[in-house]
Amino acid sequence: MVFTTHLVALGLYALATVLVLAPFAGLRPAPRGLLLGVPIAGIVAHGLGVARLIPFMGVAPTLSLLALFLALFQVASEAAFRASAVGVFTGPLATGLIGLALLIGLVPDASPVVGRSPWSILHITISILGLAMLALAFIAAALYLLQFRALKAKRFGQVFRLFPPLERLDQLNHLSLVVGFPTVTLGVLLGFGVRYAGGVSVDAAQVVWGMLMWLVLGWAVGVRVVRHWAGRRAAFASIASFAAVLLVYLALKLTTPGTERFL
Amino acid sequence: MSITVLGVNHRTAPLEVRERFAHTAGEVPQSLARVLAAGARGGVLLSTCNRTEFYLAEPEDAVPEAVWTLLSERLGVGRSASEYGYIQRDRDAVRHLYRVSAGLDSMILGEPQIQGQVRDAWDVSKAQAGPVLHRLFQSALLVGARVRSETGLATGAASAPSAAVAVAGKIFTQLAGRSALILGAGDIAELAATCLVSEGVRVTLVANRTYERAKAIAEELGARALTLDEAWDHFGDCDIVLSSTAAPHAVVTWDRVAPAIGRRGGRPLCILDLAVPRDVEPAVAQLENVFLYDLDDLQAVAAHAAAERRDDIPAAERIVTEEVERFWGWYGGLAVVPVLREFRERLEAVRAAELERTLRRLPHLSAEDRAQIEYFSQALLNKFLHQPTVALKEAARAGRGYGLLDALKRLFGLERRDGT
Repeated sequence: MVFTTHLVALGLYALATVLVLAPFAGLRPAPRGLLLGVPIAGIVAHGLGVARLIPFMGVAPTLSLLALFLALFQVASEAAFRASAVGVFTGPLATGLIGLALLIGLVPDASPVVGRSPWSILHITISILGLAMLALAFIAAALYLLQFRALKAKRFGQVFRLFPPLERLDQLNHLSLVVGFPTVTLGVLLGFGVRYAGGVSVDAAQVVWGMLMWLVLGWAVGVRVVRHWAGRRAAFASIASFAAVLLVYLALKLTTPGTERFL
Repeated sequence: MSITVLGVNHRTAPLEVRERFAHTAGEVPQSLARVLAAGARGGVLLSTCNRTEFYLAEPEDAVPEAVWTLLSERLGVGRSASEYGYIQRDRDAVRHLYRVSAGLDSMILGEPQIQGQVRDAWDVSKAQAGPVLHRLFQSALLVGARVRSETGLATGAASAPSAAVAVAGKIFTQLAGRSALILGAGDIAELAATCLVSEGVRVTLVANRTYERAKAIAEELGARALTLDEAWDHFGDCDIVLSSTAAPHAVVTWDRVAPAIGRRGGRPLCILDLAVPRDVEPAVAQLENVFLYDLDDLQAVAAHAAAERRDDIPAAERIVTEEVERFWGWYGGLAVVPVLREFRERLEAVRAAELERTLRRLPHLSAEDRAQIEYFSQALLNKFLHQPTVALKEAARAGRGYGLLDALKRLFGLERRDGT
């Protein structure tokens, strides 16, 4: 069941990615109904599979959960912001993450797990949701910079035609950061709660990475909200934040290799 | 039975001539009445800045002359409208209207305004159009809509003013409610301003070297008038600047506008420089979040869109051909019944006359013999009529009825109107 639903989701996300990328290859843009309908069908199948992966033990289930949130954001961006170009990043990312999860092996470890209380599961879910929001902020920022470059350099090609307006991308970036920060904050607080109130032992790497994500996202939100950064500067801040979180994760993962734990 | 289009367009007549032929909505009924009086069963006059065309149902031979005379009167003494004009008949006339409605015959390929202009022409001429042209214009609007939805002929911005809107639309989430400052009073700027206003942009300020001219335009657009020197400070608060002064050198310089732009706090500013020579110093584009486009840039956007639209011409032409055949099938079928009735009545009259003459020469025949002869003549006529009737109905069903009908009318001299 888990494998099949993930395989179906993989196929549908791949199809959604093809639909998003088709206009960049000179083909006619797909109808909006398809741009929304195909990933939604994938999300339904994926959601059924992810529900069976609770309590998200190991790297593969966590990657699958992240892929699910990215696909959800792809649909939400298209529905609310008419930003189908977000799918240029989220489509391959979600497809790749599910593919990777399938390769690693999705079946949860049969051995009993200490500390997988509902609070712990909530902590993981909310933290991954925050990470996905940081990724969405990065994607909006990257699209912003590409469109900015096209407009400044007067290149009226596919980026100009197919990407959303600059202001809309800036709003998407702003929204993902502003909603993402409280989400990550809640995830971090739940993590501390699980550790101290629940008495669960947590690796130092998890604490370091969680705090780093919170600080970096806090900084990105701070420069936008407090210092009123917007446009290109805010886009660079988002990209730097996401890159820092990703690089630190990879570095920490190198110190504790293996697929049994996310960190 | 025929459909004819007579007129001039941007390919056959210069602007100076087209301007004179252009009809206001109020003038259309009168001009159509004059043409219809020369002998036609229905007419629609399509008049835009790029074309003036009379679509006529069943025009008699004198009608083209009536159209050219009417148009020549607008040209003045010694000039004939026919030298700028064209005539297309039947299928070609239907194809012409369908191509016009689809934007295939427009100066800017695929431009969307023509669809509304065709609808307006039909509305204004409704009382004089007649059933065939009603159907023709109704179908033309559907063809236009079909081409626009099934092909990419209407995508992108294919003119400089619409490119200005497209470029601004790639900077701002929505144009409605944005404020615009207009510098100068050039025609292109006014046209581009109209395009922006139609998207909901508010022209709040108009600046010109002469304050009086600025005031006149500002009053038209509901804006405030300024002198050029007063305008520089407003680069800090408006969203779009449209510049089209007649200055021989750049008037919007870094020194003049950089301080105001610096106060924008990163909000984007779109500057559309439509003047030749350019009004805006290129260095202004180096300012953060300033997006500067001149006429060449906008024409590049338009050319890009136009090139993409050209790729869709074959698909659009296929739709037009398909719809012409569909209409012609209906039109051919429409005429078969009355012409067949006319044909039968004509032969029946011949049979009755010949029977009467024959019977007059044979007075000795009994009533029974006379009935036999009458029966024979009727049967012979029915036999003769059977095959042409079947062939015509089949041809009409296949959309090929018009050619046979025309031959029939010519061979048997069927001049009576068929009521279509």
